[in-house]
Amino acid sequence: MREKRKGPIGRATGLAEGVAATMRRMQRDREPAVLVYDETGYARLVQPDGRGYERLLQTAERMVDLVDESEAEAKPRRARREP
Amino acid sequence: MAATLTPERTARRLCELSADARAAVLLDAAGAPASHHGVTSDRSGDLAQLARTMFEAVDRAHRDMPGGPPEQVEIQVDGGTVFGSRTPHWMLAVVARRAALSSLMLMDLRAVLGELEGGTPIRRVTAAAAAGGPAETPMPELGAE
Repeated sequence: MREKRKGPIGRATGLAEGVAATMRRMQRDREPAVLVYDETGYARLVQPDGRGYERLLQTAERMVDLVDESEAEAKPRRARREP
Repeated sequence: MAATLTPERTARRLCELSADARAAVLLDAAGAPASHHGVTSDRSGDLAQLARTMFEAVDRAHRDMPGGPPEQVEIQVDGGTVFGSRTPHWMLAVVARRAALSSLMLMDLRAVLGELEGGTPIRRVTAAAAAGGPAETPMPELGAE
């Protein structure tokens, strides 16, 4: 059976639903997550109330910050060297 | 013949292998840094200390979970993703871009550690055009003998 054609309101609703789904997906992708893998590659998610979760997140954040700082420091130095 | 991978070259090797790797640090089994890449030398000690802390926290987190001790870890935070992988002799941690593909990064970590421990060297292929080879397609033409 042929699908009924959507009117302008239906099309706008479909578009809005698509945007909302994309936003939800982006939000979910940005959420912090901790996964551990055993030697067979089997992944387990460390729950937010699990032991070590907060420590792992904090450590990873500090590692990322450290690399950001290091890159920011190296950039002006490189720019000075390359006129 | 490909040169053997040494601990001193391992962190750099990983960053060269993966476009999403920003910095890496290799520690020995005792937690002493063996090499680093992607951070200035004055920050390498801090990166090594944080990597040690990460592996200790992984062992703590694992106590509540079934299964064997974790070999690899992936931590996604706002500005990036941190991956870690270990063998009985080495621990390798990498700070990657947030968009890095987990499966690829974990495979690269495992491959580099494998190479370091005397396993099969990683074979890198270069595009024929980039290598200065023939410009035509390497695919045989249909119907040609």
